[in-house]
Amino acid sequence: MWRLNKVRHKAGGHANSLEELRTKRREKERALRQARRDRQLVSKRLLLNEDEEQDTMEVAPGEQDVVTLFQILHHGGTEKEAFLRPLSKALRDPSAQLTFIKLENSMHLLVGLLTGSDARCRLQAVRCLHELSHSPHTSVASACLPATPYLLTYLSGQSTKFTELCLYTLGNICPDSERVKERLLAQGIIPALAGCIQNHRHNLAVVEAAGFALFQLLQSKDAAQKVIPTVLASSLPSQLLSVLTPDPDFGLAPAIECAWCLHSLTSSSENHRELLAQGALRQCCSLLVSLGGAVADGNTDQGLELLVCPLLRCVGNLLSSCPAEALHSQLGGVDLVAPLCELVVALLHTLPALAKETAWVLNNLTAHSTESCSALLTLNLVPRLLELLPFSQGINTMVLRVLANVAHKKKEFCVRLAELGLLSALTATLKMADQNVVTLSLEVLFMIIVSCPQVCRA
Amino acid sequence: MMLQPDVVRFIAMGESQTHNGDEEEGFRGAAEQQVEGNPFTFSPQLLRLHRDHELFEDGDVFRHMYLQDLFISEAEEQPAPSVSEFGCHISGCRAVFSTLHEYEHHYNSLHRHVCCSCHRSLPSARLLDIHIQEWHDSLFTILAQKQDMYLCLVEGCGQKFRTSQQRKDHLIRLHKYPPDFRFDKSRKEKGTREASREQRTDTAVEAADDVCRSEGVCEVMCGVESNQLEQEESMETHASSEEAAQSEDFSASAQTPETNTERLKPRYSYRVPKTVCFGHGSVRGFRGQRGRRK
Repeated sequence: MWRLNKVRHKAGGHANSLEELRTKRREKERALRQARRDRQLVSKRLLLNEDEEQDTMEVAPGEQDVVTLFQILHHGGTEKEAFLRPLSKALRDPSAQLTFIKLENSMHLLVGLLTGSDARCRLQAVRCLHELSHSPHTSVASACLPATPYLLTYLSGQSTKFTELCLYTLGNICPDSERVKERLLAQGIIPALAGCIQNHRHNLAVVEAAGFALFQLLQSKDAAQKVIPTVLASSLPSQLLSVLTPDPDFGLAPAIECAWCLHSLTSSSENHRELLAQGALRQCCSLLVSLGGAVADGNTDQGLELLVCPLLRCVGNLLSSCPAEALHSQLGGVDLVAPLCELVVALLHTLPALAKETAWVLNNLTAHSTESCSALLTLNLVPRLLELLPFSQGINTMVLRVLANVAHKKKEFCVRLAELGLLSALTATLKMADQNVVTLSLEVLFMIIVSCPQVCRA
Repeated sequence: MMLQPDVVRFIAMGESQTHNGDEEEGFRGAAEQQVEGNPFTFSPQLLRLHRDHELFEDGDVFRHMYLQDLFISEAEEQPAPSVSEFGCHISGCRAVFSTLHEYEHHYNSLHRHVCCSCHRSLPSARLLDIHIQEWHDSLFTILAQKQDMYLCLVEGCGQKFRTSQQRKDHLIRLHKYPPDFRFDKSRKEKGTREASREQRTDTAVEAADDVCRSEGVCEVMCGVESNQLEQEESMETHASSEEAAQSEDFSASAQTPETNTERLKPRYSYRVPKTVCFGHGSVRGFRGQRGRRK
């Protein structure tokens, strides 16, 4: 379970931590950006024990202990659990992980304990596997293959903590190698995930873990051919959508994972028919509207933007494949125009990248919908859009597109736009350095002048 | 507002064209009657962005910062309720606990999906259903002689097979399952049990003892209950000979495809709690050579 408050508290307690933390974050951010450009962006998650603190500088047992512990466990005896706990701690260390998988029969031992008659040992064994799954070395994931059919089988069991660990373990090893991913697909990971979410749909932690596992599966490069068709044919889409309810009790974390899964589905594949048929657009829009309202009100819960982001993307891409005639029924009466405008303005200074994505969604909404364009005018939202025109990083380009969409519809709209002061805003944008901005400004200008030449004489 | 002369010219040309169009159409009409050289070609466009699009870069980085930096913890907001030590209330189970979580996990892992006929525990409701059908349903046995009744264990696959061996082959070939998957042991014919038991007695017993100590799967009961050697519950011998070829873990001695279930039940049941089962005919420990390797 995600506990942001705990993190902040811990970070604050360290000496010199704030500066270190900032530096660390900057470096991480740089590394992540580069990884994304290389199409290698993958993350793993580690579930900590109840009694663990991330920051404790506990002396790690080390490699030698891994070997010793394994030998003790291998030779039998009744106190297995007592040795499994330190083993899982020892396996936190990457070099110990490598040592362990090279030991003969080590995986065999873990699998045996995983499926044995002692429930405590099962739990400890899965913890060991989970530590291994978090390894930065991709060879470790392949070593975990013998455990996968059991991890998948246990997804339809009832023990929640155990299931959670199985899910994060599977999610961690998924992206590490093609072989692992294909094996998991062959072993039925998709129906297993669907069944798991169904059984545990009232448990926050398990749904979050399952969402994470599915997200990992969807990150593979050939997901569009190998994974997505099967996912769309399963009950997963409707389950993911059912998690996206604005129910404050259910918690952000599972919704975050499910929304990112939906984003992966909508952005990797052009086929949105099934999702649209299941009301994905309406569901995402209504949640987006509730969240957008909260963000605009200044709600500083950091998790909200993590959920707003994938929702925006889903809506944006779903809109792009929704035929204009069906737009109204697909949206189900949800008014998007005003909330989106509010959101752009609210995010402009805190998360400009997200503001740009919001403007993109507005573009897709207004492209072929006269109704939406009309709403922009009648709800007096244009002045707010005009205020965005000075801002760069792609925001003004997108906003100009929106305004151009409006102008393109009707002569009356052009007149209204001119009355609202668009022309003077354009004089500023025409002078900007960005070629796209200038081109779009000219396009808008052209449309206005042609529609209402009397404006020019004014 | 001052306009450049050439822009004015374009506009004048554009104007004459649009007179013909329907007002409602806006500029669509103008676009269709495009004047040569008119640089104004805007039309509203739906922008579909692929997940790798650069517009998504910042949001993706944000997301992964969350996944990596903000670690997650299992601890509940409130500390887990602590209770004084208590035992599992399932008769025959001797486990004892000091926290509710432990008990929950124990119960969910071992007592949840229990077969009422043989008291074996299966990992999931589905596997339990399959177990009951294949082991305790006489109608199944009859039907199985004429049609494909053995269901694939992978949820969503739905394929059925005439024999459990065929199903096993399918699991291995298509779903890449290991040949020694513990939750799929086929039920053997009762007829030849005697013969097989005789044959296997020495090797199996020897192996079992060895195996049990070294692997420790059922050592809980080994130590607690009597030390008498017990026959493995049933050997998927046909399969195991195949397994022997595939992994050196099983003893080389030929084991016939029988089940020793009925004959051996009393002995086996002392050793492992009745409530634990890994599918019919599953091995309680490891057979053969596996245990011997130290």
